[in-house]
Amino acid sequence: MSENKLNKEQLLLDLLKKKFILNESAVRRAKRVEVKVDPKEIIPVLLYAKENSRYISFAHMSCVDWIEDGEFEVVYILWNPEDKINLFVKTRISRDNGVLPNIDFIWRQANTYEREIREMFGIQFEGLVGRQEFILEDWEHMPPMRRDFDTAEFVKKTYFKRPGREDAKDVREFVQERTDEELPDFAKKYSRD
Amino acid sequence: MAFFDLKGLLSPVTGLKQFGKKPHTIMFPDVAEHASDRYRGLHFNKLEDCIGCGNCSTICMNEAIDMIQIAGYEGKKGDSGLRPRVDNGRCCWCALCVEVCPTGSLNLTKDYIFVTPDANDFLWTPGIDNKEKGEENISFYSDKETSLSDYSRVPMRELDGDVRIQSFAEAVLGYNEEEARKEASRCISCGLCTESCPDHMHIPEYINAIARENDEDALRIIYDNNPLPEMCGKVCTRRCEDVCAMTHRGDAIAIRWLKRYATETAKNAEIIKEIVNPEIKEANGKKISIIGAGPSGLTAGYYLALRGFDVTIYEAKAKAGGMTFYGIPKYRLPAESLEKQVGYMQSIGVKINFNTRVGKDIDFKEIYNNSDAVFMGVGFEKPWTLGITGEDLNGSLQAVTYLDVINGGGDMEIGDKVAVIGGGNVAIDAARVARRKGADVTIVYRRRVEDMPADWEEIEGAEDEGVHIMPQGIPIEVIGDKNGKVTGLKFARAEMIPDPDGGRPRPKQIEGSEEIMEVTSVIGAIGQEGDYSFIPDDMKNQIKIERGRFVVDENKQTTLPKLFAGGDSANRTADAISAIADGFRAVKAIEKMLMK
Repeated sequence: MSENKLNKEQLLLDLLKKKFILNESAVRRAKRVEVKVDPKEIIPVLLYAKENSRYISFAHMSCVDWIEDGEFEVVYILWNPEDKINLFVKTRISRDNGVLPNIDFIWRQANTYEREIREMFGIQFEGLVGRQEFILEDWEHMPPMRRDFDTAEFVKKTYFKRPGREDAKDVREFVQERTDEELPDFAKKYSRD
Repeated sequence: MAFFDLKGLLSPVTGLKQFGKKPHTIMFPDVAEHASDRYRGLHFNKLEDCIGCGNCSTICMNEAIDMIQIAGYEGKKGDSGLRPRVDNGRCCWCALCVEVCPTGSLNLTKDYIFVTPDANDFLWTPGIDNKEKGEENISFYSDKETSLSDYSRVPMRELDGDVRIQSFAEAVLGYNEEEARKEASRCISCGLCTESCPDHMHIPEYINAIARENDEDALRIIYDNNPLPEMCGKVCTRRCEDVCAMTHRGDAIAIRWLKRYATETAKNAEIIKEIVNPEIKEANGKKISIIGAGPSGLTAGYYLALRGFDVTIYEAKAKAGGMTFYGIPKYRLPAESLEKQVGYMQSIGVKINFNTRVGKDIDFKEIYNNSDAVFMGVGFEKPWTLGITGEDLNGSLQAVTYLDVINGGGDMEIGDKVAVIGGGNVAIDAARVARRKGADVTIVYRRRVEDMPADWEEIEGAEDEGVHIMPQGIPIEVIGDKNGKVTGLKFARAEMIPDPDGGRPRPKQIEGSEEIMEVTSVIGAIGQEGDYSFIPDDMKNQIKIERGRFVVDENKQTTLPKLFAGGDSANRTADAISAIADGFRAVKAIEKMLMK
């Protein structure tokens, strides 16, 4: 899309740049603006977007586990129904005991998202009121959406296999038998699980 | 509340403004519900496209997918014959199985209603149990562009054609560490390739070792059943890559180049020995003689020596490697590389008697009587001639003879304009060598370029180096001057006649299309055969030979129990990896026969 067609997107970005310290910012494409801010800037940016720029709709909130960086990235997605633009506000906190401000006084429905993220990733929201248990019942493991949670291992321990599945074959072993290939023991650790 | 609430009275009436508008609801069940475009419903598998690689089953975190045998799907090279069965009671419709399906046969459909009183009914095979609601209902399919799998091969760096023809330097440069790790991590470790490899090398394991940054383990795994892996890493016919799961929608994993990378990390014979560090069994006193130090003979020698046998290889020439030394040009397989691999074999106890031609320098019968077993890997040494007039002229020669002289360090006068006749790898090799010797080279081949049995990379390489290819040309006569020196090649054009039996089209000479090409040499490369004159006649009667090849059983045993054979003179595939496989199989059989 040519640049003059992205006027509204650019305008919003310039406005935010003037008002706040943005770590990163970009017009990703038409109808999509992304900014990255520090956690302490979250409430001011969201409030400003809602009250001053008509980003009145809270569309979504999600979380990404950047395990390699030791950080969580929380993404707030806002929607301006007049300009039809999505504003992505991203912030990063430490994976260990990271805390974010609660924003459910700005949009009431954020409460639900925050409870889900608290349960699935273990991120605490300061002042969040609501039952600890959200979807999971009697959960005693690591929050399951963290990338270091071993889903396959959990599944193996927790569930039994339905009867009638005993005839399953391992592809590698099946082909090996057909060809009389003799795989030495020390090589087996490199075979597919 | 006020007694007269105007708003309360009017509100229900405002609903009337919707009157006549299209409703958002549907009249269920008269109107069917419509799922969104990328809806992730029940699985559907196109069983004919599926190759049973099991990638879906491996990625499933819920262990919902089993690979099972299904009647009617037998399995063949490149297809395990297994097909996925889904436990829908476990599936969470994340669609990772679809995302990583290399063929794109597995999909999710818009169909999501499945009602049953028996929970065990949730176990069913996509493509069989939902045939009728399957194919036309597909909504979530794997998109190559956004896939988690990488379908593009890491490109191989090589010298440019005009640089290549200036010397016999190796044309392909090989992967560096970063490239190798990247290429290795594309592999999905299904192992279907191992079936196509005549030697059944442990391909997914050594590739995974490279991906996990353990090159030494990769080398150890490779040496488990191939003692000439660097040679294979450079020149193998790599049938493994033809059936790679990734070829269905992208480039095959560069299995050959990855093997080359792993073997080249060991710079010399000592380092190979240090890394592979094989267990050498105590001498068992049995004596094995091997005729020919080609790939099959060397393989048999290496693994027999490791198993404690006293091994002696008799080689007619000055260097080991057979056709891989004297046939394959040095720009594809440098002499140092072979010497390194053979040097390692010698260091673990393989004895090679060079310049010892059996039947001339030493008697076959003597070897046979003094050994507990004999393995023959004598190859095809004798080139076929074209069978046309003028072939005895000075300047008419055979490609294997020419390559033999050049690879042996000698030289041969061929002039500056050469015609090579044939379309196999030997023809291309001879053409590219002649090009490096400064000649203008034309390959004359009876059929079309796409019919050439040579490796497509070799054909492309030859074209890059300025070799002309003249397809559909039938040689008729080699023409010479009064001194008996070649001056030209008379050939005719051919048209392709389709084979009614479905074979490849046959060339038919076009009447009156004869032309004469001015050349200084004609190099024939239309095939070779074995020379078994070293076997005395009274023994030959007991050894069954059919169509120029020794008849052997699956143990590579000939009709004489003590005598085994492998390589070109005993198999029909006639490539190095088949020869290695023959040698390896013979080792197992010899051990079983002598050590029971």
